[in-house]
Amino acid sequence: MAEQLYNAVFIGSIYALFALGFALVFSVLDILNLAHPTVFMLGAFVALFAIGTLGLPWFVALVVAVLVTGLFGIVLDRVAFAPLRRRGAPALSSMISSLAVTLIVVRLVELRYGGDFITFPAGAVPAFVLRVGDATFEGIRLAIVVLSVALMLVLTYVLQRTQLGRDLRALAENPRAARLLGVDVERAIAATFFVSSALGGLAGVLLAFAYNTLDSKMGVPLELRAFTVMVVGGMGSLPGAVIGAYILGFGEVASLVYLPTELRDAFAFGLLFLVLVARPTGLLGQKSPDRV
Amino acid sequence: MMRRAAVGLAGVLLLASCGGGTATPSGNPATATVAAPKPDIKIGLATAKSGAANFYNPQQSNGALLAVDQINAAGGIAGAKLQLIVEDDGSVRDQGITAFRKFIEQDKVVAILGPTLSAVAAGAHPVAQAAGVPVIAISNTGLGIVGKCEYGPCDWIFRASLGEQSAVPETVKAATQKLGLKKVVIIYGDGKFELDDLTIFKEAFKANGVTVSKEIAYTAKDVDFAPFVTQAKGENPDAVVASSLAGPAGKILDEVAKQMPGKRVIGGNGLNSAALLSNANAGLMVVGTAWSKASTDKTNTDFVAAYKTKFGADPDQFAAQSYTAMIVLADALKRSGTATDRAAVKKALEGVSGLATPLGAFSFTTDHDVKQPTFVMTVKDGQFIPFQ
Repeated sequence: MAEQLYNAVFIGSIYALFALGFALVFSVLDILNLAHPTVFMLGAFVALFAIGTLGLPWFVALVVAVLVTGLFGIVLDRVAFAPLRRRGAPALSSMISSLAVTLIVVRLVELRYGGDFITFPAGAVPAFVLRVGDATFEGIRLAIVVLSVALMLVLTYVLQRTQLGRDLRALAENPRAARLLGVDVERAIAATFFVSSALGGLAGVLLAFAYNTLDSKMGVPLELRAFTVMVVGGMGSLPGAVIGAYILGFGEVASLVYLPTELRDAFAFGLLFLVLVARPTGLLGQKSPDRV
Repeated sequence: MMRRAAVGLAGVLLLASCGGGTATPSGNPATATVAAPKPDIKIGLATAKSGAANFYNPQQSNGALLAVDQINAAGGIAGAKLQLIVEDDGSVRDQGITAFRKFIEQDKVVAILGPTLSAVAAGAHPVAQAAGVPVIAISNTGLGIVGKCEYGPCDWIFRASLGEQSAVPETVKAATQKLGLKKVVIIYGDGKFELDDLTIFKEAFKANGVTVSKEIAYTAKDVDFAPFVTQAKGENPDAVVASSLAGPAGKILDEVAKQMPGKRVIGGNGLNSAALLSNANAGLMVVGTAWSKASTDKTNTDFVAAYKTKFGADPDQFAAQSYTAMIVLADALKRSGTATDRAAVKKALEGVSGLATPLGAFSFTTDHDVKQPTFVMTVKDGQFIPFQ
């Protein structure tokens, strides 16, 4: 039972780590960035390139991957979102544009690494295992659990207490007013994309390390989960996304343990339904001017 | 995209020019004395060059290409060269159907190989069946591909890929005997292939007197497999069965190694993937395969050497199967004495018996399914080796 609880915490942490970056862009810019799963995948492949081709140790590869995906986020904004924003295009255009970036990047990665899953070179991935009695705890998994909570706290602090956070909140409330108040809107947007994508990339690297497996479609199963946890937690709320992620993680494992397999999805999405009936804005959701 | 369109257009023009060269009877004695080259025998290959199953290529195309090159270099079929027309089935049903229609209506092929996935075959094969074009399935291992098919009669369809109905019982038998199995747990995915495998595994374990104490389902959306293996561990089974594709199987192998040290993972054809060889725990698996690179049969060693020379890489099972299908088809074409009569080719295919191929002695059953040896394998030092 203790092992399944730990499994649930771990799964919740993965969902949280992935959903944080997704929720950040949505909360500040009202954009559903469908390229986020691709950034996640890209992070893992940059780490693979750094380890496999450049021969860097894993912790350097991790930093490189986070920086590269962060910068990719800024490029993504410049290429896929900024031109549409300038023309006042509807939100749907941004979604399609981010989808296009996804298709291109996935194909490019497949041209280099193929469509099948691959693994890191033997011994390249950190393998610290803590054994307590019959149960095993891997260092990388513990790190994911700690990081997802820590990052949520750091992000919340940055948004609430720093100048950048104030700029972002002003931007989320009203981009035009923010500009009039002297907020460097383009810089704030670039910062949002950098942080969001760096988080996505970090999640990708950690998950690829945890499973020692990566493939060009590895972000896809997490995308729907990220939508779900954002809705449960409250659209645009970062602590909400993390809480939603843990609820989904626990729900999934509990349904595996207690219910016949056919009812697993029904349980998880039934939970979602109940939350929405009780609180249509999600657990920590607020009306749009107050979010972030 | 433009370049692809241009290449496609060039291909169409090339085919059109080939078609224009078809020899027709002529009453003119001056031209009748010059022996016109025999028209090419066209064969279609629908394979997943893109989409979810794109990792089966280029091996699947390469295997067939190698066979065609060898047959043509040896003089072709009664002086006529084989011409392989390759189309991407995109790993999706509709594109598979489109490829088959093109082969039949535009290219007028004598036979078709493919498509890659069983789910695509379920859409594409009925097109060939309706048109009366022989098909050899080269990588469809699920239920209902030959023999009894959901869409009705499927007597134009043959299968050169060892079905799970044949491979799984052999694997279960070998594993039960060598591991002394009494109780197992099956972890299975929700795709057609995995569900078919589940059914076949359950029957095979029953036949061998082994109890399946729990069946645990995962979905294609699941990312973490620790909870499933923890559930399996609670049953204290002698082995875990992974009715899954290679991606989830890798995660199941890792979790079993961690949570249930010493236990083996028995799998179907989904585990028979070169991508799993680099998994540190691949040595835990027991899997029935249609081909063994280590087989010392001369036809196989020749094939492996020729493939390596031509493509600079080792072949995999998918290359071996598409190569074999082409050899089998060529054998049938030779015996049928025709390059255009599809019914005669079908009849000749039904007569394929004990043909030497890289897969071993190859025959078709009365249901048009492959009859060949099953290789029960495990992994050591990154290579598939016989399970003993």
